[in-house]
Amino acid sequence: MPIKRRLLQALATATFSCMTCAAQAHFQMLYLDETALQRAADLDFAIVFTHPFSGGPTMNMGEPRAFNLISAQGGKKTDLRQYLKPVQWQSRDNQAAAYRASIPRELVRSLGDHIFVLEPEPYLEKEEDVYIQQFTKLVVNVGGVPGNGSEPQGLPVEIQPLNKPYANWTGGVFRAVVLADGKPVPFAEIELEYVNHSVDIKDNAFGKQDSVKAPQASFKSLSTYSDAQGVVTIGLPRAGWWGIAALNIGATKTYKGKPLSQDAVLWVQVRDMK
Amino acid sequence: MKAQMFAHPILLASALLFCQAALAHGPVFDCYIEHDDWVKCEAGYTDGSSAVGRKIHVQDTSNKLLLEGTVGKDNSYTFQAPAGAYSVEFLGGENHGATIQSSDITQ
Repeated sequence: MPIKRRLLQALATATFSCMTCAAQAHFQMLYLDETALQRAADLDFAIVFTHPFSGGPTMNMGEPRAFNLISAQGGKKTDLRQYLKPVQWQSRDNQAAAYRASIPRELVRSLGDHIFVLEPEPYLEKEEDVYIQQFTKLVVNVGGVPGNGSEPQGLPVEIQPLNKPYANWTGGVFRAVVLADGKPVPFAEIELEYVNHSVDIKDNAFGKQDSVKAPQASFKSLSTYSDAQGVVTIGLPRAGWWGIAALNIGATKTYKGKPLSQDAVLWVQVRDMK
Repeated sequence: MKAQMFAHPILLASALLFCQAALAHGPVFDCYIEHDDWVKCEAGYTDGSSAVGRKIHVQDTSNKLLLEGTVGKDNSYTFQAPAGAYSVEFLGGENHGATIQSSDITQ
């Protein structure tokens, strides 16, 4: 099938399957202040299901099904659920159930890439009567030794980074492959969103001040598609945190008798050259 | 003569290339207390190349060599901490050394 026709078909499918698009712009945040560490340190995570550009509204999270660390040393997998602590997260307009996790330094002492993977409980978007489940990855590097951060983790859906998610300059380009069951997903619908405010982990809250003002609603959540090989390419115009989400790419399409959107999320940290 | 004139730019280009490769290859070294008084040190390079077989020296404050080891297949070297203050030096190659003081080695 010609690429143009396949792209049109993918766009039509995406439009049909997302008539209202209320499920869009939801992002499972897996946040910590710093992902490129000189030396290992205790890591404090905020795990919040929200709209990161607007700083809310934030959705109630159920207890995550899995929260794993894939170690830099030999790829050993560690179950981190014992470190999850439920909190009430204060976002711009509401409070919602979220999680914090304090990961001890001992688990990330090795040099190289440490991959954190969150599998949340599906969230029922009542407005649309649709469940959303976002498999979320974050890569932390210790010392600057490159590692296994670009290795797929065998998730039902995931975004495989082609650049280091923790080492990006403002103005750079980031590339990744969208995968479902380990295979590239051509023409997947992609959302891109900037965390447009501070994240106060200790107070379980987003900052009240926006970093930038969107000139119009469509600038809050940017969108594109992966190419015919499943590769997505994005620019990084501003320092801070960027979330990439590939929407509704999973093979499992229903949960508890309702439609399920299995999305893949990857977080990318960007620095100014100064 | 023409061949000689050609050789110079090629040599220059090669030298620059090697220089660039060397610049992109910095040592990374860190140590932590793995358990009890056993210290594990990990070594590597920023381009991902292996440090296996490189020497590691443990020295006292007067630079007296207390222990000498090599980086193993898992890019690490483990030793029992000596009494008193000491330093651990990764001999990662010319201009590629790195040293850590015992006061900076924690769990």
